[in-house]
Amino acid sequence: MSNDSEATPHPYIPVLIDDLKSGNVSRRHFLRTATLLGLSAMTAYKLSGETNPFISDAQAADALPKGGHLRIGMRCMEIKSPHQADFAEKSNVIRQVCEFLTFTGNDNITRPYLLERWEVSEDLKTWTLHIRKGVKWHNGRALNADDVVWNLKRVCDPAVGSSQLGLFTGYLVQEYDSGQKDASGKPKKASRIWSDNAIEKVDDLTVRLNCFAPQIAVPEHLFHYAMFITDPADKGMFGAGFNGTGPFELTSYTVGKSAVYKARKDYWGTGPYLDSFEFVDLGDSAGAGISAMASRQVDGLSEADAVQVNAMKRLPHVQPYSVLTSQTGVARMRVDHKIFGDPRVRKAMKLAVDHQKIIATSLLGAGVSAEDHHVAPVHPEYYALPKYGRDVVQAKKLLAQAGYPNGFEIDMVTRPDPIWELNTVQALAEQFKDIGVKVNIKPLPSAQYWEVWTKVPFSLTGWGHRPLGVMTLSLAYRTNAAWNESGYANPEFDALLDQADGILDPKKRSLVMAKIEKLMQEDGPIVQPFWRAFSTVMDKKVKGFTVHPSQYIFANQYAVGA
Amino acid sequence: MGSVDMASFLAKRITLMIVTMLCASFVVFAVSEFTPGSVARRTLGPYATQQQVDLLSQRMHGNDPLMVRYGHWLGVLAGVMPDPLEDPANGLGFTDPRGSQYFGNFGYSTLYKLPVNDVMWKRLGHTAILAGIAFALIVPLSMLFGILSGLKEGGALDRILSVVCITFTSIPEFASGVFLVTLFVILWPILPGTSPLDGSEGGRWSVASQLVLPVAVLVLYDFGYVARMIRVSMIGVMEKPYIRTAILKGLNPRQVILGHALRNAMIAPFTVLLLQINFLIGGVVVTEMVFAYPGFGRMLLDSSMFGDIAMLEAATLVTVFVAVVTQFLGDLGYMLLNPRIRVR
Repeated sequence: MSNDSEATPHPYIPVLIDDLKSGNVSRRHFLRTATLLGLSAMTAYKLSGETNPFISDAQAADALPKGGHLRIGMRCMEIKSPHQADFAEKSNVIRQVCEFLTFTGNDNITRPYLLERWEVSEDLKTWTLHIRKGVKWHNGRALNADDVVWNLKRVCDPAVGSSQLGLFTGYLVQEYDSGQKDASGKPKKASRIWSDNAIEKVDDLTVRLNCFAPQIAVPEHLFHYAMFITDPADKGMFGAGFNGTGPFELTSYTVGKSAVYKARKDYWGTGPYLDSFEFVDLGDSAGAGISAMASRQVDGLSEADAVQVNAMKRLPHVQPYSVLTSQTGVARMRVDHKIFGDPRVRKAMKLAVDHQKIIATSLLGAGVSAEDHHVAPVHPEYYALPKYGRDVVQAKKLLAQAGYPNGFEIDMVTRPDPIWELNTVQALAEQFKDIGVKVNIKPLPSAQYWEVWTKVPFSLTGWGHRPLGVMTLSLAYRTNAAWNESGYANPEFDALLDQADGILDPKKRSLVMAKIEKLMQEDGPIVQPFWRAFSTVMDKKVKGFTVHPSQYIFANQYAVGA
Repeated sequence: MGSVDMASFLAKRITLMIVTMLCASFVVFAVSEFTPGSVARRTLGPYATQQQVDLLSQRMHGNDPLMVRYGHWLGVLAGVMPDPLEDPANGLGFTDPRGSQYFGNFGYSTLYKLPVNDVMWKRLGHTAILAGIAFALIVPLSMLFGILSGLKEGGALDRILSVVCITFTSIPEFASGVFLVTLFVILWPILPGTSPLDGSEGGRWSVASQLVLPVAVLVLYDFGYVARMIRVSMIGVMEKPYIRTAILKGLNPRQVILGHALRNAMIAPFTVLLLQINFLIGGVVVTEMVFAYPGFGRMLLDSSMFGDIAMLEAATLVTVFVAVVTQFLGDLGYMLLNPRIRVR
């Protein structure tokens, strides 16, 4: 990532630079927006006066030891296709072999990766992607525009089942009435690329995205966990020996056991420093992770919850890592439910919660308070609204006004795994009791839970980290969005979201974000107690490891010391 | 017993075994039918749209009626028809090097993306190693404890051994697993904490050392129970007139126990001992989870959580087969130990 190239400046970049100089925009805001508009991270950091963390990382990388074998404990799940990766674990397995066009760093700044640079039109509708020269597949063939076009088009095909489709919907992909009806008689919706020319090959190393709506987050979307660039010859399939541009070759993959990799000698980018690398499946038992670390059967874990980290603090060779993320759990209410349909009830539920107590009990303190609007302080567009605390009296008053002076009884669906989700539901249920709401907890195994997660009236859903708040808001709360689990449909909210997606001026954008956040707090369908800190552990002999908020593992950056 | 009797006995048993296996396989199919959540949804993950799920479900023949799918499964197993999932037209990429039509084709695992035969036998082998070593320790240990306890009911030795047996049997496997890990992995690190059975590059523990703790957990959990069974049987035998006669005619205790008591005392616990094989093959999920042991139990759990019907069916057949065979061996053993029992 050290070799970012300069792009043709977007007309808004000089304005941004002036705003930065006059103090009208924060450095973080400047860095993110300027890099998305095509300014290289190196230049953006230079202009902002901040140290580019990747420079120091690159210098540190030179000193890393070479060779050795690294083993990281992580579930090795069933993987059908790289484009269908729907969990960070699956994406981690694939990422060592296949790569993304862009790279969002730990600093939340997105840089070109398999791309050399990009340019965006003034109206944010035309994105020109320049593919990095000299990138080779494992079989020696050079990466070209046809490869990129094939992958971009493939994820837009509903038959493939990629979650990338949801992110591209709204600017590259359009939903339309399929003419069929579902079991309840409602028209079935289908998706398609909005135009034949939407994803266009310009030349052998250039691809253009012609969008029907403005979108500033395109480079961030290209770092989404399913947006791998795979060899079209593999037809989207996954398995040992499949082709990629990445730093490792997958020599074997056994579901429930391991993924074994061999380092590539002719990798175009950073590293790899290791000779070989391995993911070891330790199953679902939290104790197995601790045991494997204790007896040094693995050199690290892809994730360790607060309980595991606490248990391993006494092991002298173990180094804990933690980063605050926009990973969260939301207690979401279906707005078409007879009780939750009333915004006063939803507001009362929000007022019933003492966020700090929930964090202390369910996360053992590893998190920060959220504000019921699903935009995190780590998001660049976050607007700090005045905080509100628990107010049982006001909550009861609102319930009485809504016609529930004695509260009500409701089932709440959750999963027992990961354990923090069930713990959160238990803590919430205790607090809801104080306003007269009796919650019956209904834990379902994960597989069954995902069958009903968008249907049940009341449940807790875990949402992963995303670099932008608007990404989650578009996926989860926009009217008719595929993952709109609460059935929330508010034209005012949708209009504000459209507006925010197309505004470049951070000041104007933050005003819109303030409205969106306020609307979510007053009318929105979620009680959101916290943002989780993501934590993990590594053996102290592992060098070059930094924890990525998306739980991504980049084995090419790691090395093993003595 | 005449050879005709024996042949008819064997024929009856084998017929019964096949009927039991067919019934069990149908029950698993039917139960899966009523379990919420389609395989297509699990394959595509939580965020796939309904349109995507419907398409894959169609390609995997998930929408066919229950009886049609069960019929397909039986036909594929018997080798009379090819596995529809392995049809290249489906685009699922499922291929079996043995071909898509052969006798004993358990089908394709949707979870492991491999033919069931390539996954299951390996996992069964791993569990068989664990079970074999554990069984080889459980039998002598429980016999020793059971016989010593049963020699003199209520004596000091009986009381001490009974407390030991009941205590160990009462501790669940996950608790004894954590206890042993704390002791031998963290406080006194002489053993590995997990058992991936991998002695290859990067692994600093031998495969043998990886077996110690899981075997210990199984033995601790199981031997006490069997020992209690042997104890009760031993007490009953020691009260029999022929034992009194043996003692009165001046035989030493060793001759009495080995020559007269032991064989009779083992008749009843023999079935219990054989039942432990069933438990050790199909019921050691907890131990396998605690030690991340790549065995049959963990495979069964993962398959059932995923809804991998082909794997579940094959695993069910194996466990039923083991149960029926051990029962059969139990009956044969009964006949050998007690000549009064005859084939009917």
